This record gives sequence, C-alpha cells and structure tokens, in this order.
Amino acid sequence: MRIGVFVCQCGTNIAGTVDTAAVARKALTFPDVVYATSYMYTCSEPGQKEIQNAIKEHNLQGVVVAACSPRMHEPTFRRAVEKAGLNRYMFEMANIREHVSWISSDREANTLKAADLVRMAVAKLALNQPLFSSKVPINKRVMVLGGGVAGIQAALDCSEGGLEVVLVEKNSSIGGKMAQLDKTFPTVDCSSCVLGPKMVDVSQRENIKLYAMSEVDSISGYVGNFTVQVRKKATYVNWDLCTGCGICTEKCPSKQVPDPFNQYLAPTRAINIPFPQAIPKKATINKDYCRQFTKGKCGVCQKICPVGAIDYTMQDEIVTEQVGAIIVATGFDLFDYSAYGEYGGGRYPDVISGLQYERILSASGPFGGHIKRPSDGKEPKNIVFVACVGSRDPSVDRPYCSGVCCMYIAKQAILTRDHIPDSNCYVFYMDIRAPGKNYDEFVRRAQEEYGVQYVRGRVGKIYPKGDRLVVQGADTLLGVQVEVEADLVVLATGIESASGAQELAEKLRISYDQYGFYLESHPKLRPVETNTAGVYLAGVCQGPKDIPSSVAQGSAAAAKVQALFSRDTIETDPQVALVNERACIACGKCIEVCPFGAIQWKELRGGGRKAEVLPSVCQGCGLCNATCPPKAIQLQHTTDSQILAEVNILCA
Amino acid sequence: MSEIKTKQLRELVEAAFPELDTVIGWEAGYDALHTTPVFIKDAKDIGKLVWNPLCVRNLSGYLVKTPPVQSADENKKIGIFVKGCDSRSIVALIQEKFITRDKLYIFGVPCQGTIDWRRVMKAAPLKNIQSVKMDEKQLVVEDADGTHSFALEDVLARKCLRCAYPNPLMYDVLVGEPVAPRVTVKNAYKDVQELENRSLEERLAFWTKELDRCIRCYACRNACPLCVCQDRCIAETREPKWLSQYMHTSEKFLFHFIHSMHLAGRCTECGECERVCPMGIPVTLMKEELNKITRELLNYEAGVDPNAVPPLLTFSPNETGI
Repeated sequence: MRIGVFVCQCGTNIAGTVDTAAVARKALTFPDVVYATSYMYTCSEPGQKEIQNAIKEHNLQGVVVAACSPRMHEPTFRRAVEKAGLNRYMFEMANIREHVSWISSDREANTLKAADLVRMAVAKLALNQPLFSSKVPINKRVMVLGGGVAGIQAALDCSEGGLEVVLVEKNSSIGGKMAQLDKTFPTVDCSSCVLGPKMVDVSQRENIKLYAMSEVDSISGYVGNFTVQVRKKATYVNWDLCTGCGICTEKCPSKQVPDPFNQYLAPTRAINIPFPQAIPKKATINKDYCRQFTKGKCGVCQKICPVGAIDYTMQDEIVTEQVGAIIVATGFDLFDYSAYGEYGGGRYPDVISGLQYERILSASGPFGGHIKRPSDGKEPKNIVFVACVGSRDPSVDRPYCSGVCCMYIAKQAILTRDHIPDSNCYVFYMDIRAPGKNYDEFVRRAQEEYGVQYVRGRVGKIYPKGDRLVVQGADTLLGVQVEVEADLVVLATGIESASGAQELAEKLRISYDQYGFYLESHPKLRPVETNTAGVYLAGVCQGPKDIPSSVAQGSAAAAKVQALFSRDTIETDPQVALVNERACIACGKCIEVCPFGAIQWKELRGGGRKAEVLPSVCQGCGLCNATCPPKAIQLQHTTDSQILAEVNILCA
Repeated sequence: MSEIKTKQLRELVEAAFPELDTVIGWEAGYDALHTTPVFIKDAKDIGKLVWNPLCVRNLSGYLVKTPPVQSADENKKIGIFVKGCDSRSIVALIQEKFITRDKLYIFGVPCQGTIDWRRVMKAAPLKNIQSVKMDEKQLVVEDADGTHSFALEDVLARKCLRCAYPNPLMYDVLVGEPVAPRVTVKNAYKDVQELENRSLEERLAFWTKELDRCIRCYACRNACPLCVCQDRCIAETREPKWLSQYMHTSEKFLFHFIHSMHLAGRCTECGECERVCPMGIPVTLMKEELNKITRELLNYEAGVDPNAVPPLLTFSPNETGI
C-alpha cells in the first residue's frame, strides 16, 4: 500500500514538545510509507488541501494524520480523503497531542513516542479495507416514555411537526410530578393552570396515541425500526365507556386507601381518578384495597356505574407498537427522608417532605389549600424548612445537588407567609443555589420582602416537645448552636432516579450512571442523545433539573427526532461486526452475549445455519468478537489482525 | 466387582437397545491395562462392552466432533456411557446447545476412580500384562514376571484423586449404586492452590519448563469435548493471525492461554487434555485455575446445571462478584 503521513504541529500545541519534522522523517522509513510531511495546522483548509494534493501527486492509497484525538477531527479528515477519491476508511489517526505533547514535556521521549504511535497507525492502515454504509428506511413514528412535563412537551412538539406519537405513561394520568405541585418558581404561577392546557392538548391531538397505566415490556429493533411491546395494565374499568363522572369513587365503600397523588396525607377510595384535571379522566380500581378483590363481594361500583364500565375480570393486555425513535422522559423519585433517622421523617407526622407540603398548599389537595398540620389539623405558626435532605450528602450516597430544593423551599416559604401572614419561616441551608433566570432575585425576595429567616447550617436533630417539634442546628455564620420550636418541619427532599430506571435502561440498551440517571452521549455536546442511536433523553431521568430545563430538553429531544425523521433513510455505520461464514462454527455464543440483540441466525439453503449481524443494530462494542472462539466474527475497521499489527509494532 | 458391573451394564444396554441407534461405550483394549471406545450398532456386539477402572476415556466428544455420532432414524437415540466427570461434559454441551437431551440415552456409571496407565508403567515397567484387578485400596496387575500391586493413590489419574463428582449428574439409567465422592468441590483445587502459593517467578519457571516441551500437536485440543471449533481453530487460521509457525515457548504459551481462556467457565475438568498429552504436560491445571477463579468470582461451576448459562457466554449488566 502507498501510505502518506501528515504530522500536525497544532501551532505549538504539539510542536512545542514534539519534533514533528523528525517524526515525519522517521515515518518515511516505515514500511508502505511513500510520503511524509509536517504542517502547522493539518485540520485547516490549506492543511486538508495539502493532504488532497499529496493523494493525487503521490498516488496515495491510505493516509495517516498524526494530530489530536480522533473524537473531534476524524470526521474532518475522513471527508477530506474522500473528496480526493479515497474510501473514507482508508484513513487512520494517531493521537500525538492528548496522548503525547500535552502529557509530557520531555521532547526527546515525546518524539520517540509520537513516531511509535505513527508506526502503529501505519501498520493498522496497511490492513484497512474500504468500507461502505448501507441505507435503511425510517419508520416515522415516535414513542415517548413518560407523561410528565418533559414527555408532554416532547410529544406535543413531535405532534406539532406532523409526526405520529405514542405516549406511554405508567400512572393512570399524565402530568407527572408537576401535576402534584401547587405553584412553580420563580413566577409563583399555578402549576396545574400552566400544565393543564398542555395535558388537554395531548388528549386532543389526533396524532398522539396515549397509553396510560402502561409500561414498556420489551424493546427490540434499532434506530428507525424499533418494535416495542407495551403492557396495558388492568384498570378493571373499561376506559372506552368510562366518562369520568366520579360516581363510583363517591359510592366506593373502601375508604382507607393510600393516595400516592396526595403523598399519603389523606386516604382515597379503592376506585378513583387521581385528580380533577387528570388526562385521561378515567377511573381505576386499586385491586389491593377493592372489596370485590379482597373479600370477593361488593360490586357497588359495578351496580352504580351509569355506563356499565366496571369489569372485574380485566387482564393486562400487551400491544405492539412500531416506532422509529424513542424519547425517554421517565422522570424521577424523591429521596426517602426516613434515611435521616435524626430528622424523624416518617415517625413524626409533622415532619413532612417538600412534595407533601405542595399537596397541603394545593387547592385541590387534602386540606383544600389551607395550611394545616397533618397531626392535628392546626394551623402552624413556626415552620422550619431543612434544605439538602438527600442532596450533596455522600453519607447517604447522594453527593449530587438536586438543583431544585433551594428554589422550591423559597417558593414554599413565600407561599406560607402569603397564606399565614403572622407565621415565622426558617430555612436551614448549606448554600443557596439559584443560578437560573430570575432565581436569585426570587430567593432574595423571600429573604427581604417576605422576611423568611435563612440560617446557614445543617440541622442535627429534630425531636418532639409537647405537640411541637424542636429543631436543633448550627448557625455556621454566627458560629452558634440554634434551636427553633416548630409546628411543622418541611424537609427539602432531593431527587433520585426513578425506581425501575435501570431495568428500563437495560431494555433500551442505554447507559446509566451510578445513581441510575441515564447517560447522555456527551455531557456538553450531545446532551439529548444516548449512545443507542434513535433513543433520546428528556427531563430528570437524565439528571436533576427544574421545569424550564425539563421542558427545554423535551423540545430538544423532539427536535432531534424531527431531524432524524427529516430523511427517509439512514446510513448505517460500517464499523460494525461482520461474520466470516466460512469460519463460523454456529455455536451461537455471539448471539447470547450481544447486549443489543444485533446478531441472529441465518438459515442456509442447504440446511445448517450461521450467525449474522444486523449492521444497523450493531453498536460495534466487540463483545461478540471477544467471545467468538474461532474469531469468525470481526469488528470491521478494528479486526484482530489490525490490533495485533499495532501490538506487534509496539512490542517490536 | 468390575465383572458384576460389566454384566449389569450389558443387561441394561440389552433392555434399552430397541430404541437406540448406536451405543458408545468401552471395550477391552490390546492388553488388560487398556480399554478402547466401541460403537455398538448391532445387538450381537453388546457382549463387547466392559466396565472397569481403565475405562478412562470421556466418550462425550464423539457426540460433537466431526463426524458426530448421530442417529439415522429420527425416533432412535444415541446411547452413551458416562462417568461422573463425563456427565458434566454432556451437561455443558447441552447448555451450549450442541446436543439435545432427548436424542440421548445416558448410561451413568458411578466411578471410584480410573487408572492412569502411565503412572503404573512409571512405578513398574510391566510386560505381557495378563490381568488387572482393583479393589478399594490397591491395583493388582499380573504380568509375565508375576503379580504387582500398587497403592491406588500412586496409580489413579490426577483428576480422580480430586474428584468431587464420581456419580453422573445426568443419566437415564444408573449402573450400580452411587458412590461417595473423594473430595468436596471446595477442596478440589488443591493442586492449583499449591501452584498459586508459589512466587510469580517460580510459577513462570514452572510453566516455561512444562510448556517448552509442548510440540503443538494439538492433541489436547482434539481430545477436549468442549473444543468445538475444530478445523476453524484459531491456532491454525491465518486470518486473524494469532499464532504463527514460529517455534518458540511464547507461541506455545499463547496457544495454551487461548485454549484455557476459551474453556474458562466451560471446562468440566474431565482431564482428557492432560491424559492425551504425549509430552505429559499437566495442561488441565490451567483450566482448573480458571475454573477456580470462575467459582470464586461468579459462583459458577461448569457442567452441573443443564439450564444454567456459562457466565462468560452471557451479558448481564447486574453481574455480581466482579
């Protein structure tokens, strides 16, 4: 092969500690290398031009650029060599910046190492093969998992763009956590008033198909062509008939049923609609508390239902949906405050979570919007807010900031002072984190206009005294211990990943971090994509964020889907596994280990079978290659022979 | 003892034979110290079958090695004799779907250990062997020079001295009564433990000395019932070129590493590789070491549960132990 080597100086980035001219001279002595040079900025227009000219002039069949990390400029150079008539995979990059010049100032050693890396790239390139992409059609339907505000926004934006949307929500209504909030910061506008119209919009769009009380069972396929099995959980109410009139709830004799929507502050009935603005507004039976199921007789709702919608024999139903892209917006759960035994959350009825306080504040909440203590219904006068409960605390394995607690307790304190003007509000905080638009002003307003007393320090202990609670903590600014007698304590419980997030990630074949938040492709430059093509992220499932950011990410995910669907076909990446059928022993081990379901059996005409890779599903992880005993399955562009060639150079 | 069992197994084969196409078993070899595999296709040959402590060979490889023993008649099964260790190979092959249980009729033989004839010959060079008898303590061989007796520990195969599974784990019919295992699974890895206790340099010296004798005849690979690549073995392919013709200890190391890695969590320690090695290299030790690690890290033992998946042949994001 005739190979050209181009050693980039990257200004002084590389040339400062590497003798690039010497590397180029040395490269000329390597097998197959017929041309080598050094240039100031190889990625610049003239730098690329020089490569293209050299390809023509020296009749090059392959090009090595020794420069920076391929992450950024490999596509640039691939395009450049392609324009000069080479296959884009007849190109290799040696990273002599991040791997050499930036990590050592020993010029002599650096120059030797750079030459070695070039030599490895040359040895690999000598075994490169031209590779070609194929095209697969795109099914232009999108599935949105999760009907919180991020999912709703994504669904509406996709629908707006004319796409067919399948929205899957695990609860009986969409709305998510935002539907449980009373007001939103920093504008203090009514949460359900701003969310409600969007929810109604979802139900009215003809191109949005909503599956509430549903979860994803399994996912197969690949970008452009996913097949998703959705489990519609039995509600025991025929939703095609149910009008949401609510008579069943009124008459249901099972009255002590825990109500997750109201955060267990007040009971609900065994058949209920979670809240007045629910979409879809349909009743659901809680089987664990329904007398028909627990005692075998009751049937009140069935008798009373004016449309005969009650069906105690209903079973889960599996529906299959074909979509081309999936937006994951599965939200979050709240930190379990009982982990802090010293705060007494869960033991003392008047130590509550932030979300419980939202329900207390809400006009549709258990107390009709009047602030009352859960224990005795009295109006509290002294209210203490404790920040960072399950945030920024490595001792409970939650070292990250939940991002919203500072703001929501400022909001709740303001609302408290509004509701009960003669109340005293105290906030124990570590730092105030209010980086959003108008956020810091909002916190200042709480402090200055509303007279909320901010105490910088952690709470050490909360214990009951009579019918009140004593909050003991430190004021680290004054350097004193403080004690506040409180009627009500609100713990600003932090955010954690939704339960079941990891199981779903495995179905979707996306990555998650150690806390269960889904990993974006790149923390800065690809914040919406996952490493599985065609699967996008929106909202808190990717990491703690507030409503504006969740909505923005929902729209961003929708934009990504629109961009994907703006083409009729997609080009596959040819750097995937390929089976050499002559060497395949049909042991099927590759099929077992493939985490993407990208390998299947191919039945041969004369009987017998061989493994076959679906190139559009394969992510090129190489597990199959490592597992295959006769190495019949090879990653294109990173074959065993190519790796061995590099290793041999390194060890020579 | 052996005679009784031989009689019993012939009767069992006789009874099952109408539904069998071929029975793979052992017959007398060229002298009393050897047996050899036999393939019974005709009922009149059933009398050839024998069972004694010299029935060393693991027959399960015949089910998968080219050409595999298969039944021409779909309704008939292949009968096969297995000892405890051999049955684990069958289980492993079923796990990996190379064979299916319903095509097999398994005659299980509880085994109190097999004789390593090389150890016998090392202990005493024998000529014109007339008869071989084994009881619970010793092996008695009669040859041209008279009668020789050997303590069992001195002549049993190494794998038998560390056998935790003397009774077949899977069978249709058992020949005789189950026997007590010599060691527990936990104590089966004393040989590699002894090696592990040596320093890195000593271990390297040990293996360099042993593997330097390797002539790369690949008998170990060919005898292994779980080495299923056969003609596609990467020891012989040149694309990818993992191994060259270069005759150096490094290439021999690499071959044995590849062989062992391909068997990690799969090897059932039947000892065939070590038995067939013409150079007497203890190659099963490498696989024992990997199995020991697999057991410790992943709590997995090869060839025990036909429904289990060998841990290195699956992708489990929630894998524990690593």
